Amino acid sequence: MRFTESSWFAAASSTLLALVCGTMLAASPRYGGTLHVKLRAISVSLDPREWKPGSFAAAENEKLAGLVYDRLVTLDDYGKFQPVLATEWTRDGSARNWQFKLRPGVHFSDRTTLTPGEVVAALQATLGRSFEIAAAENAINIHASRPAPDLLEQLASGRNFVFRVQPDGTLLGTGPFFVTESTAAAPVEGNPAALKPARIKFQANENCWAGRPFVDFVEVTLGEPALRLLFDLQVGKADIAEIAPDLVRKGRQEGLRIWSSAPQTLVALRFDDALSAPASDDLREALWLALDRDTMANVLLQREAQPATALLPQWLTGYALLFESPMDLQRARGLRAGFSAGVAGAEQPLRLRVDAPGDLFKLMGERVAVNARQANLLVQVATSSSANAPASAVGLRLFAWHYDSLSPRAELEMFLKQVTEGGELPPNTTDPEQLFTQEHRLLEERRILPLVFLPDYVGVRATVRNWNASAWGDWRLADVWLEPEAAGAAKVPGNTQKDSSTARNPGARP
Amino acid sequence: MQSSARNSRQKKWGRPFVLGVLLLFGFSAAVYRPRTSVFADSDTAMKETARRLAERVAAIPGLHGPLRLEWHPEEKWPEDEGARWLEMLRGEFDRRALPISGEAGAAALAVYAEETPTQVVLTARTQIGDRDEVRIVAVPRAVMPPVEASVAPVRLERQLLYEITDRILDAASLSNGAESGLGVLLYRNFELIALRLDSKGEVTQTVPLNVAGLKPARNPHGEMAPHGNQVAVELWGRTCDFSWDSPAEVKCRAEKSSSLERSAWRMGTALTSPCDESNWTVSEGGNDPTAREVLRLVPDGAIKGSSATVMSEFPGPVVNINAEQRGGSALLVVRNLRTGNYEVYRIKLVCGS
Repeated sequence: MRFTESSWFAAASSTLLALVCGTMLAASPRYGGTLHVKLRAISVSLDPREWKPGSFAAAENEKLAGLVYDRLVTLDDYGKFQPVLATEWTRDGSARNWQFKLRPGVHFSDRTTLTPGEVVAALQATLGRSFEIAAAENAINIHASRPAPDLLEQLASGRNFVFRVQPDGTLLGTGPFFVTESTAAAPVEGNPAALKPARIKFQANENCWAGRPFVDFVEVTLGEPALRLLFDLQVGKADIAEIAPDLVRKGRQEGLRIWSSAPQTLVALRFDDALSAPASDDLREALWLALDRDTMANVLLQREAQPATALLPQWLTGYALLFESPMDLQRARGLRAGFSAGVAGAEQPLRLRVDAPGDLFKLMGERVAVNARQANLLVQVATSSSANAPASAVGLRLFAWHYDSLSPRAELEMFLKQVTEGGELPPNTTDPEQLFTQEHRLLEERRILPLVFLPDYVGVRATVRNWNASAWGDWRLADVWLEPEAAGAAKVPGNTQKDSSTARNPGARP
Repeated sequence: MQSSARNSRQKKWGRPFVLGVLLLFGFSAAVYRPRTSVFADSDTAMKETARRLAERVAAIPGLHGPLRLEWHPEEKWPEDEGARWLEMLRGEFDRRALPISGEAGAAALAVYAEETPTQVVLTARTQIGDRDEVRIVAVPRAVMPPVEASVAPVRLERQLLYEITDRILDAASLSNGAESGLGVLLYRNFELIALRLDSKGEVTQTVPLNVAGLKPARNPHGEMAPHGNQVAVELWGRTCDFSWDSPAEVKCRAEKSSSLERSAWRMGTALTSPCDESNWTVSEGGNDPTAREVLRLVPDGAIKGSSATVMSEFPGPVVNINAEQRGGSALLVVRNLRTGNYEVYRIKLVCGS
């Protein structure tokens, strides 16, 4: 067949058209598919009332709860509060009385209508007794027992979701997804020693008031070991997976796309009450001066952490940079030389218990012991066999605190309530100078010694589009869509190819 | 006992009358409503914050003499934003007899500017003897003025016409005899609204488009096409018509071929060069809603990536593009990733440079 000029032109035109269309398709969000998410947590709770502030579990719960529930307001990346279930809000001059007008026509995933009374019930359970909340016509009124100028920050973060408690105790939400399947971890058939991980499957809420999410399902697998998560990302068994801080470098070396949040976790030491007495002032000061935070962050954590000298991170307060690194081995040794016999850490080792889970934190505990030794202080990390030693035998604890709130005041208050068990609460103000003064005073007591700040790390496959998580760790999965696998992509047994290939163009609803 | 006290409080608080009175007289300090315009006086918040910091610093006991200002602006800020802050601070320090000096021997006054999720925090630190003095003030980020994007010299000339915090879906030129203006299609608080702006960018008319049966969308896409006083608006699954003269009468009909399926902006838009009447077509875009976008125009007949391409970087993704009459210019809707605002630019090709 002779290739005429006109047929060549037609072929060239169609090729060009195909190229242009290809570009357009790449630009278009796509509906459909299953987003596979893998987490290290063994179990999750979607009941915000059960969450323990500051825990890793609460942070993971919050990420998944964001699929199912909405908040009254949210915070965008530009410092502006955006309406969600509330369309307008007002407050009085004292910041104690707030009114939130509710969005009309919002339905739960079972298609029943959200009422002001249900919003009141949910928020009363999460905000606590210092707020009195009442329903009004298409609105709710919140009265705080003390000024709450940071109420929007509180409502936009933490456990302050809106939900309805069903008669059977389960919770319903108005969010972009609902739980469709949930299976607990179970022994593998034929190999009872091995555990089949727990799974939760979320289905798109077709009638979500804010628009249907792009993906049809989000399937969450729990309890996967850290190394396995990295492998699953590589072979396409996971679209989104948590990455342990000590594996981030490895992941990057292997070409994975890794997202990190602003520092979300504080790793710190806390002296037990017996050692918080004035008699132990020099011991606490000496250990404070001996800690080499830079080495912990840069060597042990391979630059995937930041040295911490404050309780709250810089991104949250804006003033943490004022707390400078105090390391001074000479002074630490000088203080140690003045210890009287019988002081813990001198002749008798100071016992350090690692309260945070995982090998990484044990390694950090050992690093603390090494630093202490450089100042002639004796610190012994409690081994698993001695972990059950009586509380009196433990003098120091290494713990991790995951930040929950966008309000520095609320975060500091929660931290002090949980960590110091009834210590002095921050002043009733959101004034950063007063918060700084309070935090400075707390650090001067040397009962809590910050070590490092850790970001959250997440591996995200290239096929996951519009991944636009907030710096404070809100994953925003309703806005994520899946791109089909590139033609000829390696097929891996058990891969997500089948699900991904079901992705459709927008508008093609099931 | 405690429980009964709480019940009693709840009962009292639950009374609508008490609440009504409380709300009627008490709520005056702060009101959030979806905004229709932005930043009436762009420098006020900045000046006020600088003034408060300077006042607090001036009140530090024992602080005398010239000060050496060490300025540490937020790392994310462009240079001109840091410079604007510095200028304000210098002015306010001067006004309070805190002269700023470049001398190495002068007492150091370090000022840090940091952004938190909701605030800009300014921290001043100095030393009086062996005492550290710290003063901190903060201002909500939401009230800060937008940064004027510095525009690199390009062959594609552009002019910022309008910006707003709400999501702009499309913009179109309106002309009514000698008067010209702008029509803007917004998705505000999950509702569609058409705005009519005069040539100064002031809103002269707001038309809520209550479109029955329109489902909210995660990627709302709309296009407006004015014909005189009539406006046709194409949405996902619906097409509506209204007139600026009788805005209450919005007529909508279902469309089988939804524009949502395209979901990208008008790819074939072309601009005519004033130099030789050649047509330049927008070649690609809209690939990443989270990145700054480089708009590329390719002359008809040129291949993609050729050196003839005209490029211009915008401060965020291009949301939509709409050619103006006669093809000499187009309106471009961009989301500014720095401020979060949606912006409307007029772009046109210019000869020379």
